[in-house]
Amino acid sequence: MFKKSLALSLLVMLVLGLSVPVAAQDELVFPIGEGPFHWESLDAFREIDLSGETIDVFGPWLGPDQELWESVLAYFVDATGATINYAGSDSFEQQIVIDVASGSPPHIAIFPQPGLAANLAAQGNLVPLGEELETFVAENYAAGQSWVDLSSYPDENGDVQFFAFPYKADLKSLVWYVPENFEDAGYEVPTTMEELIALSEQIVADGATPWCIGLGSGDATGWPATDWVEDIMLRTQPPEVYDGWVTNEIPFDDERIVNAIETFGLFAKNEAWVNGGVAAVASTDFRDSPQGLFSVPPECFLHHQASFIPSFFPEGTELGIDADFFYFPPFEAEDLGNPVLGAGTLFAMTEESEGARVLLDFLTTPLAHEIWMGQSGMLTPLLTVNVDAYANDTLRGQGEILLNATTFRFDGSDLMPGAIGAGAFWTGMVNYVSGAEAADVAAEIQASWDAIKEE
Amino acid sequence: MDQLANALLAIVVGVGALLLYYYGTNWIIDTLLADRMTPQGVVMSGRTRLREAIRPWLFVGPAVFLLGLFLVYPAIQTFILSFFNATSSNFVGLRNYQWAFNDGEFLQAVGNNILWLLFVPFVSTALGLVIAVLADNVRWGAIAKSLIFMPMAISFVGASVIWKFVYDYRGPGATQIGVVNALVTHLGGEPQAWLTIPFWNNFFLMIILVWIQTGFAMVLLAAALRGVPDETIEAAQIDGASGVAIFFRIMIPQIMGTILVVWTTITIVVLKVFDVVLAMTNGQWSTEVLANLMYDWMFRGGGDFGRGSMLATILMIAVIPIMIWNIRNFRKEETNR
Amino acid sequence: MNARVPILNLSVGGLLARLALLIIVILWTVPTFGLFISSLRDKDQLAISGWWTALQTTTAYEQARTPAADAQVNIDGQYVIAGSFFEEGDTKRIRSFGGGFLPDNDAIEYLQGEQQGIRDYEPGVPVALEGGGTMTVNADGTFELVSPTPFEFERGQRFFYMAEIPPRFTLENYQEIAGAEGVYQAFLNTLTVTVPATIIPIAVAAFAAYAFSWMDFPGRRFLFYVVVALLVVPLQMALIPLLRVYNGVGIAKTYPGIWLAHTGFGLPLAIYLLRNYIGTLPREIIESAKIDGASHFQTFTKLVVPLSVPALASFAILQFLWVWNDLLVALVFLGKSPDQIVLTSKLRELIGSRADNWEILTSSAFVSIIVPLLVFFALQRYFVRGLMAGSVKGG
Repeated sequence: MFKKSLALSLLVMLVLGLSVPVAAQDELVFPIGEGPFHWESLDAFREIDLSGETIDVFGPWLGPDQELWESVLAYFVDATGATINYAGSDSFEQQIVIDVASGSPPHIAIFPQPGLAANLAAQGNLVPLGEELETFVAENYAAGQSWVDLSSYPDENGDVQFFAFPYKADLKSLVWYVPENFEDAGYEVPTTMEELIALSEQIVADGATPWCIGLGSGDATGWPATDWVEDIMLRTQPPEVYDGWVTNEIPFDDERIVNAIETFGLFAKNEAWVNGGVAAVASTDFRDSPQGLFSVPPECFLHHQASFIPSFFPEGTELGIDADFFYFPPFEAEDLGNPVLGAGTLFAMTEESEGARVLLDFLTTPLAHEIWMGQSGMLTPLLTVNVDAYANDTLRGQGEILLNATTFRFDGSDLMPGAIGAGAFWTGMVNYVSGAEAADVAAEIQASWDAIKEE
Repeated sequence: MDQLANALLAIVVGVGALLLYYYGTNWIIDTLLADRMTPQGVVMSGRTRLREAIRPWLFVGPAVFLLGLFLVYPAIQTFILSFFNATSSNFVGLRNYQWAFNDGEFLQAVGNNILWLLFVPFVSTALGLVIAVLADNVRWGAIAKSLIFMPMAISFVGASVIWKFVYDYRGPGATQIGVVNALVTHLGGEPQAWLTIPFWNNFFLMIILVWIQTGFAMVLLAAALRGVPDETIEAAQIDGASGVAIFFRIMIPQIMGTILVVWTTITIVVLKVFDVVLAMTNGQWSTEVLANLMYDWMFRGGGDFGRGSMLATILMIAVIPIMIWNIRNFRKEETNR
Repeated sequence: MNARVPILNLSVGGLLARLALLIIVILWTVPTFGLFISSLRDKDQLAISGWWTALQTTTAYEQARTPAADAQVNIDGQYVIAGSFFEEGDTKRIRSFGGGFLPDNDAIEYLQGEQQGIRDYEPGVPVALEGGGTMTVNADGTFELVSPTPFEFERGQRFFYMAEIPPRFTLENYQEIAGAEGVYQAFLNTLTVTVPATIIPIAVAAFAAYAFSWMDFPGRRFLFYVVVALLVVPLQMALIPLLRVYNGVGIAKTYPGIWLAHTGFGLPLAIYLLRNYIGTLPREIIESAKIDGASHFQTFTKLVVPLSVPALASFAILQFLWVWNDLLVALVFLGKSPDQIVLTSKLRELIGSRADNWEILTSSAFVSIIVPLLVFFALQRYFVRGLMAGSVKGG
């Protein structure tokens, strides 16, 4: 009996093992030589032979994002012959800590939060990228110095060094909608926050639901709410207050911040304003919640989310036609201009290797950015790219905002220390949406921040 | 395919190495410490005693080494680390413990654990007993028992997917695809996001563990029930005792030993369970439990090994009474042997 | 010997009891059954209706867009745009359509929450368009726009339709999780972890158990008390220091590393179980072997091991299931790259990242539980025996 079951298991294993498809030859998404791309970027890399070299890359991208990233890598692999192992994880923030602590880090780690990268740099676990790359970013990125500041942290001796290379930026202050649904219902795109609120009330009066909000994201559940709060902070307070908040010079439970959280609550804790009711907000995955825009009849009309979200729209959705965005408007009454919130992923080297350095060099080329730009939600501040490579006008419009940026603030939770920006702030927002009071939540987050300062 | 080959190779090498060790060392002492014989085969100096004094250690050696390395040393080390700071560079005494007892999240986790400890072992054991009794008298009892028992083979994460599907929530007015909400709307109620309802969501999570563990309780209790002598039952029947009275006054006391074993085993499983909470809610909406909290602190924001170790130690302390009881029981059995 | 509860002697009571048992069994199996059915359903249907409706036709409300005007061709003086909104082989059938750019049918009234216009027109009947021309949409999704004057809209025109989708079962979901999702790779990884992590502890524990039973050495009793104590030590106590040791030695995130870890964690139960069994072997057998001149080693390998196969099997099942279903040890000692991630970890990731793709979740969950279930059903007997013998264990 034992032997029989062993045989059965081996058989099952064999069958399933044989059905694992051989890794498909990475097909290049855009044929080389065609299209508005800087193909000459590949020339230098064809000279480099990395065959036999394996580069381990670990990042947060899964699903469609992963496929897009791997389509960029395909060109690098094609030119240099290197082998790249990319692993993505929904719990990147935890897993990278485990990997580094257990002495088996990847060569390159892709950080969605500078705060976390700074933590690791201070422990001595990141390899400084050197002056050349630092100068490159300062000179070739729009608002380059801001990007350099974002990527430089104190190392284990307290010296500030350049540790992370920014690649892929996201614009955050956007609201997505379906233009034809607006037309059908007779709505206009609001240009002030007051108008947006009035529009939401109008939609409710018409018997529909205005907003789709989803905070779910595996271990990172809660982060979309932090984007809301940061956007609102920029629209209710001058940028200096924002900066003070992010460094904790202004305590988290300051009434200005509590006020911003409660303004978010105006949208998210309003039973009639959110698709699925308030209970759905924290339990709906952020990748799932925009689907409500596209159902028949639409389950919602408005969705506040960053520029990468079109990757998760239903297949075949054409930007500009089926879906479009408008700028999350400021309060007319506040007179704070038109602030823009953004973020980016940062490539850090957790283990030195020649192949990793070459890969980083590849990412400085315009082509590496254009491949992703040409497909979907990827924006870049790299000045040398050809904006015609953007897959459509919508992306181009967003990209141009980024390229023309002078006043620009980075996602606050990404700047805060890992335990807050990738921890307490997220869980605090989930608690808030689930019924807690804004003041209590803010106080708890401040307490967490105090606790880590003690160390 | 490479991996298959690698796996097989690893198995062969691993097993081979083991066998080599055992056969090898035994052969060595057999040869090196062989009795010295005269050419006529007369034993001149028996070294049996020496050989047989060493041999047990060859048998037991690997086990003792592995146990020491993987359980004893780390357990002691974790206990020590709980008195240090996050990176284990500074001794901080009881600071971690003090922090814990003032931290809302910790206290909530403790509260939740207590709920789990009260609910799950009791319900699993009780249900297991009831099912054991019911199934014993039915022709299809064996199949029934198998089906109840089946969830034990499923991983906690797999069970989480299954029950996530059961608890699924869509907005009011939308078609529900989760069984519970479908039933609720069918009966005229409003669908709920069950896992987000504070306090009650703990019970919805506990149901998953009960679903898994009841089979275990049932199997053991069924076996124990079979050990209750028929004559005792019949005698009581003759004396006019009702079925319920017999159940509570005779059967339960007779199998009390097994009931306690089942209860304590499930208790330990409850204390260690973190997969269910991690996969379903990750401690959100006030469902945090100690085991999940410990995993969280172990890696949160760079890793805090002081707090993580402290939480593990607290789990350990909770388990010590059972450990002592186990050892005492074992000793009793040993003397009876 | 069957213990009989007297109340069940009554036929009414007996009936009630059987009913109660039936209900309990149904409640117990429904969740897993639901998952299985769902994993076989068409993924669009799966997302919008419960599995108990799997055999019913589902109604979908969707939108479609005509091609842009530049797709028109001139046929005999008429301008025609034709094609199909559905793909080859799609079994959807349109029941009604309307709204969007189509003129309203004032005869139809709509309730709050319904898409305006969706029931305006029937398939097969030409609809007069504003600006001249007609559009005909057929139940199978083919359509034709005809007009005497050229169409002028720049982009495709939108309208809505109500469609019926007959129930469809498929193995696609299982195929979908093969490549990009990497579930089958995780399956292999789990196998790679589980088999050695079952075999090695058996060997080590068997020798130790024999020594504890039949060999004499100082500290024997004490050591075994330690084993009993270790039965309940929570895994969590071992993780942090072990992480560091592994780091120092350099075997973190390797397969041998996790095999050793599982061996270490599984030893207390293994030794306890096997010792219980081996200790109850008849003393005479061991004695007679000794008299025949066999050393302990020979007694063990040639006599005790063959006799202990039931116990070895019991432990092997327990350990196999334990390791296969483990999450924590894999999270800490093994990586998340595709060639290392185990099924439980993969499943957990999917719950987080593919929460909206139920077809991936259900089929992955099933792939992860099919082997344990097979093993369980085939070898239930040994499993039960193992549980009973080890019922003092911590788990």
